[in-house]
Amino acid sequence: MSYGVHGVSVLLLAGLLVAAAPGEAHHSILGKFDDTQPTTLEGVVTLVDWRSPHVHIFMNVRNGPRFDNWAVEIESPDMLRKSGWARDSVRPGDAIVVEGIAARNGSRQVWGDSIVMSATGRAVLGVDESAPPAPLASRPTPRWPDGQPRLGPLPGGVDGYWAYPTAVALVEDGVDVAMNAGGLLDDIDDAARVAPLQPWALALYRARQSRHLRDDPTYLNCKPTSGPRQFHQPQGVQLIEDRVRERVFVLVGSGNRNFHIFFLDGREPVGQVGGDDDNPLYYGRSVGQWEDDTLVVETTSFNEDFWFTNGGLPHTDRLRLTQRFSRPDFDTLRYEVTVDDPGAYTRPWTSSWTLRWVAGEELPKHFCQENRP
Amino acid sequence: MRTSRLVFALSAACLIAAAPAAAQEGHPVKGSWLGTWGPSPDHLNDVIVILDWDGENITGVINPGIDNVEIRNATLDPDGWIVRFEAEMVNAAGATLDYVVEGTIGNLAFHDRTITGTWSHQNGSGPFEIQRQ
Repeated sequence: MSYGVHGVSVLLLAGLLVAAAPGEAHHSILGKFDDTQPTTLEGVVTLVDWRSPHVHIFMNVRNGPRFDNWAVEIESPDMLRKSGWARDSVRPGDAIVVEGIAARNGSRQVWGDSIVMSATGRAVLGVDESAPPAPLASRPTPRWPDGQPRLGPLPGGVDGYWAYPTAVALVEDGVDVAMNAGGLLDDIDDAARVAPLQPWALALYRARQSRHLRDDPTYLNCKPTSGPRQFHQPQGVQLIEDRVRERVFVLVGSGNRNFHIFFLDGREPVGQVGGDDDNPLYYGRSVGQWEDDTLVVETTSFNEDFWFTNGGLPHTDRLRLTQRFSRPDFDTLRYEVTVDDPGAYTRPWTSSWTLRWVAGEELPKHFCQENRP
Repeated sequence: MRTSRLVFALSAACLIAAAPAAAQEGHPVKGSWLGTWGPSPDHLNDVIVILDWDGENITGVINPGIDNVEIRNATLDPDGWIVRFEAEMVNAAGATLDYVVEGTIGNLAFHDRTITGTWSHQNGSGPFEIQRQ
């Protein structure tokens, strides 16, 4: 393939945008872009960079006698594919109109909310994040021969996973606060209502919120989405039950496709002596047991190097999670977590939500790639 | 004197080598801090401060090793991110001095944040700046 001089310059610009971004890597959208600065661009596509975590479209936009090359950042390849789009839905040479919001740093970058073909008016590369229609009738909970509910895919090679969480961030049950899909509060004065935070933790939560979550280690450094955050990801989560080895594998549909294990074999939640016994972990150490139709998992030994929820609620290494999983019907996973962290909160508190079963699909391949916006 | 310098240097080296695993995002003061303090900007001495948070109190030591000094009455005021702590040290003449250190956290969002401020005791004061490792 030959790009020519212009193509090379576009690639160089793309490379510079990617390479110059240690503080602007895969990011909270409003951390990088300002939703009070609506922007419309009309021009011709020069390059489509179809890669995780975010697709970029480069386009030439007339500016008086010359053309400026702009970078339009949009959703991830997997989310675009789920909405019916492909890497050639927009191609170099296409004339497009982009509606979006401008970069906070004044560079020639926008977050694209909509892209329309100039010639036909056809909307392209939009993402539909809504959950699929609910089943017309509730289907019974699938069970193992001994009657225990199944949490993962059915045997026989039929894939499936859990997605479309009904909550986007941890909020104490019974509290109603408005926030965006990334956990950014509509009104920062709601911060104190979200959870029973100690004064320092409340101040830190407000500071993270006031910076539009741009310091999130998951986005800055591809740190794991651990704890309850695994069950908030739009890319979903898969639970694989290994009954022979008495454990449940939690496969996370984002980040770098990490996994975590719930041990159900009666072991203590400690590491291996001489190995990781004194080393706090991103995912902690989890042990669980079934209580009737609910899997109860206790997790401790977290490190403090990540955010355990969208939105930036702080935690300390004293964090202890009690997670409860139940499947009241075929298509619903009920998730409840009790947060007990005397280092950051004034008392234990609980948050719960549900996820929907996505049948017949493998977990989406969504990768966080370090230093790539 | 030479031995204590060696111990200090080895302690600092160990702390620096262990720093990546010790990086924390929890309580803002928790961690290992390395920096300087002294009577004036032209006369600064190295200092290591280890701070911890037990859920209720900030604890810690200055210059961990054979001559370490425990800090007392440490506080964090989130309104302005003001850190304050006290320590009792004995000077070369054998006199006990009550140090008070007060500073402001800078670069709060980052693991390599700083505390910049002043120290003071009965006979003097000076600048104080440490950075989380």
